[in-house]
Amino acid sequence: MAKQTKKLYALHGRKKHSFNLPLTKTIKIGKREYKIVIKEDNKYGTYILWKNRRYPVEINLSRQNKFEILFNYVSYSFTIETPFSLKRKQYLSKEKGASEDEKIIAPMPGKILEVMISQGDEINRGDPLVILEAMKMQNEINCPVNGIVTSINVDPGMNVNKDDIMLELKIIQ
Amino acid sequence: MKIKNILIANRGEIAVRIIKTAKKMGIATSVIKTVSEPAAMYLSHADTVYDDTDNVSEIPVFIDIERIIKIAIDIGADAIHPGYGFLAENPYFAQKCADNKLIFIGPSPDSIYKMGNKIIARKIALSNNIPMTLGSDGKIPSEKEAIRVARKIGYPVIIKAASGGGGRGMRIVRKEEDMPKMFRMASNEADKTFSDHSVFIEKYIEYPKHIEFQVLGDKKGNIIHLWERECSVQRKHQKLLEEAPSSALNDQLRKEMGEISVKIASAVGYFSAGTVEFLYDANGNYYFMEMNTRIQVEHPVTELITGIDLIEEQIRIAEGKDLRFKQQDIKLNGWAIECRINAEDVQSGFSPAPGKIEKIIMPSGENIRVDTGVQSGSVIAANFDSMIAKLIIYGKTRKEALANCKQALDKVWIKGTKTTLPFFRMLIRNPNFLDGSITTSFIENEISSYYVYSEYEEKLAAWLATWLFIDENLDESNLKVNVEETRNISPWLLNKRISRH
Amino acid sequence: MDIEGKYYRSYKDRLKILDEQQSKARIKKQHDKGKLTARERLDLLLDKESFEEIDAFVVPDTHGIEFGKVEKHFGDGVVAGYGKINGRLVFIYAQDFTIMGGSLGIVHANKIAKTQEMALKIGAPIIALIDSGGARIQEGVASLSGYSTIFNNIIRASGIIPQIAVVMGPAAGGAVYSPALMDFVFMTSYTSYMFVTGPNVVKEVLNEDVSFEELGGAEVHAKKSGVAHFIYDDEENTLLGLKKFFSYIPSNNMENPPTIEGINDTPDINNRLLEIVPDDPNKAYDVKDIINNIVDRGSFFETAELYAQSLVTGFGRLEGKTIGIIANQPKVLAGVLDINSSVKGARFIRFCDSFNIPLLTFEDVPGFLPGIDQEHSGIIRHGAKLLYAYSEATVPKITVILRKSYGGAYIVMNSKNLGGDFNFAWPTAEIAVMGPDAAVTILYRKELAQADDPVKLKTELVKKYREKVANPFVANEKGFIDEVIDPPHTRKKLISSFNTLTNKWVEVPSRKHGNIPL
Repeated sequence: MAKQTKKLYALHGRKKHSFNLPLTKTIKIGKREYKIVIKEDNKYGTYILWKNRRYPVEINLSRQNKFEILFNYVSYSFTIETPFSLKRKQYLSKEKGASEDEKIIAPMPGKILEVMISQGDEINRGDPLVILEAMKMQNEINCPVNGIVTSINVDPGMNVNKDDIMLELKIIQ
Repeated sequence: MKIKNILIANRGEIAVRIIKTAKKMGIATSVIKTVSEPAAMYLSHADTVYDDTDNVSEIPVFIDIERIIKIAIDIGADAIHPGYGFLAENPYFAQKCADNKLIFIGPSPDSIYKMGNKIIARKIALSNNIPMTLGSDGKIPSEKEAIRVARKIGYPVIIKAASGGGGRGMRIVRKEEDMPKMFRMASNEADKTFSDHSVFIEKYIEYPKHIEFQVLGDKKGNIIHLWERECSVQRKHQKLLEEAPSSALNDQLRKEMGEISVKIASAVGYFSAGTVEFLYDANGNYYFMEMNTRIQVEHPVTELITGIDLIEEQIRIAEGKDLRFKQQDIKLNGWAIECRINAEDVQSGFSPAPGKIEKIIMPSGENIRVDTGVQSGSVIAANFDSMIAKLIIYGKTRKEALANCKQALDKVWIKGTKTTLPFFRMLIRNPNFLDGSITTSFIENEISSYYVYSEYEEKLAAWLATWLFIDENLDESNLKVNVEETRNISPWLLNKRISRH
Repeated sequence: MDIEGKYYRSYKDRLKILDEQQSKARIKKQHDKGKLTARERLDLLLDKESFEEIDAFVVPDTHGIEFGKVEKHFGDGVVAGYGKINGRLVFIYAQDFTIMGGSLGIVHANKIAKTQEMALKIGAPIIALIDSGGARIQEGVASLSGYSTIFNNIIRASGIIPQIAVVMGPAAGGAVYSPALMDFVFMTSYTSYMFVTGPNVVKEVLNEDVSFEELGGAEVHAKKSGVAHFIYDDEENTLLGLKKFFSYIPSNNMENPPTIEGINDTPDINNRLLEIVPDDPNKAYDVKDIINNIVDRGSFFETAELYAQSLVTGFGRLEGKTIGIIANQPKVLAGVLDINSSVKGARFIRFCDSFNIPLLTFEDVPGFLPGIDQEHSGIIRHGAKLLYAYSEATVPKITVILRKSYGGAYIVMNSKNLGGDFNFAWPTAEIAVMGPDAAVTILYRKELAQADDPVKLKTELVKKYREKVANPFVANEKGFIDEVIDPPHTRKKLISSFNTLTNKWVEVPSRKHGNIPL
């Protein structure tokens, strides 16, 4: 990719951060370039040293080109795109039109132990939604999309059957 | 009766706290080890550890009255400190301790019972002319009665669980047509959470300040108050930050409310440490809400402004000693702020974020106190609370305390899971918080974001994500093939493969 | 030779025509759909300047076309040849959607067949980048026979050279069988789809309205049908994923997978492994946590991640050497085996067996999924596939029982007598005919019915059952478990065990092939 692409974008929500390749270990502010050092030691763990300050860093999820990073205690979800894949995304969102609804159904009969979200919550793909007890085991049901909870149809203690709609979300890209 | 060995029926930071004072007093301490946190910090601080990891019961040990009593007897403890939460406000537990000749470090079972039932507490306050919000005389038996009482009081009203607290079993009702549904929901939740579906109704004060007074009493009937705490920074009825004293009160109010606190405590013959809670509205009126018959999470701020060790006083009082302070001895010195740093994700509505705390470095210094049950390597289990540490800051004035707090928060270093630290860093820079004008509406209505957004930090994070992407996917150097190793197939095997074909 | 002379000039002119065929208009049309062109894909995937094209100038056979028109384009809609991926030879063909919709005519098919035959002769993997409108209607039955040749070649090479399909556009009707027959299928979301019968026919015959995406999009195949093993959001990531995948597999069935010279900073002894499996047998955990803490750091590459999630399959490395990993996932459906997971596992095992990849199994399975649905759909037959695949495999096989291992599921998951070379267990392992609760209920039914406090009696009996029957030490003493190991030392143990098994060879009786239940 480095031979073909001259740029990479890191997308977070509606923000687009652009980086030229090859990637230098610096960030430019105004006219000055400030060096970035990635460090790991016994006292502090993994962190970034920048402008003489230490920033704690955790990489919570890394999947293909998606990264969830906890930087100085704030969580960001980034998707890394090339100029071409960005254009592709724009084309696809035009084609797919308005956002759709996602129904989260019970994969098997069981009892709801815990409901971890509330109506109106913004959920990221992979976030836990409910804990369903079945086969004497606790199963965490995770969210398959990024979305906002529009309705919750279950309560802790409730029994559900297979394919019951437990909750609904409005999908956001 | 001198206490020699206290069994602490609790865990986490409060267990560590109690052990600290007990050590100071030369008293031995015992704690219980559970299968959920076999390596918790409090275990290494106590003198004796009772290993309860075999316990496969559905009931966790900290709320298992029979089991705790048995453990106390087994290890030869002569007193039990319940901490806060769990069985701290369970009158049966306090009674069972007494029955088994174990000194319960807290008030009498009778006062726990009376103040624990909100309807009885209201009746007592009423008969002692304590200012309160309008409310039902007793429990509300039906939807019809609920509507009738609510009409009399005037909307908005709040339905509360008689045996409850902590925000559970509460429903705010603003109009009559919502009442039947809310009544049912509140009763059900109360039944589920407290095994008692009785509810009562009070006038709902829209976004008051929450101000509470610390009281201390001995078994001879001497009761004093140790000034107030302001706990209005709350989210869904969970306190996040507390201060002592409150910037809303003047000396006159302070004196008045303090006296009322002592009055209601006396009405039930209270001894040991307790807290009287008030709602304080926009017009400067205060109303008694309830009394908590235990030591509270936020007790350190009171300790810092009065210089008194409340746990020490609790133990002395339990031993039968007289209060060694008179009201006029209690001085108000300076200002204290406590930040409850929890393992919660502020960006997902403070949802719990259990996990392992890889590193924790808390600031230290003259004006800094840290109460914690967590050290580097500790695991925040999902079945106990999400508290990581309490950061308590002192200053000679509120302004100084706030400045010290800001500095201290910037020095906190926690790695391993999401924490509420960014929330406090935001709060300490928020103008409304800084001028003290916050009420309980603050978190839900007046702030747009739970953390301070920094453009540079986002850019750095974006850089890191890009760097990781390149490292994982584009960097071919970590896919270098060791050709010799790959081709190194023994003749034995190669022969077999060839002859098979 | 005169550079300006007619011979050299005509050679150069011809090359120019080929170049111009990739007109800006054509490229734009493809880009506007969010797709890359065939040559761009080859450029991204293969090492710089390593691609050698074959049959670039073949033209479609227009003889005997009775119906419709066929334009004479060079290449006939597919770019084929060979190149290198990270220095390793691969044969590859990429269908060109910009030329006649990438449709398959007889010449197009022959070019693919040529590529396949070369790959088989030389013993190098073959990759198909599929982006085609299907059979060329104008050429009639000749197109169909083209497909037959291609499928036949895939089957002849199956298990001899790795064959990978990357679906980056349409693949409909008969065309779907290429990916179906190959070893692994990659798909790009939203801009590719696969189905046997398209939405138009579905509407006509069944009067059902369904979109391309709903009927056979990438997500459908990755999550529901299990046809696609890997799904990526865009083409660049798909090709990057393919490159990464490629580093785990050998070039043919006589070679070992490549050993990667990595910076080996994975600790051999890892205390984190003690923290993952809870003591409470009803609490779930993520088995991928365990896998990631045992294999070389960052080397776990999961296959069919979104399908039959109660069984995890994928590749990993131990000291740079590839292993195939199969693990029950307690987080999903309590880790039970069902029809889909049995088939998923069986296919994965047979690929590894074909290509000399040793197998590592992590076991924590309470049994097979009960129910009418499973029984009527043939869990008996499909479960038998997994059993067959494990037993048939002659690569080194090691099993680590992490927790539950009951009944039939215990036998199926590479038990000792099924052919496991080394069977290890963690102290939390529970190996029994059935779980403690069920066993106690059956064996002590009378006593429990007569007891004053049946709940307490049951708890005691369950405890006794765990002590006397269901713990790994009993199995150890009987020789069904080779060793109960200390979890933090698992990696070290596995490395030395796999090293010992390097030269393992088992004679198989000579026969045409076995009869695996299908």
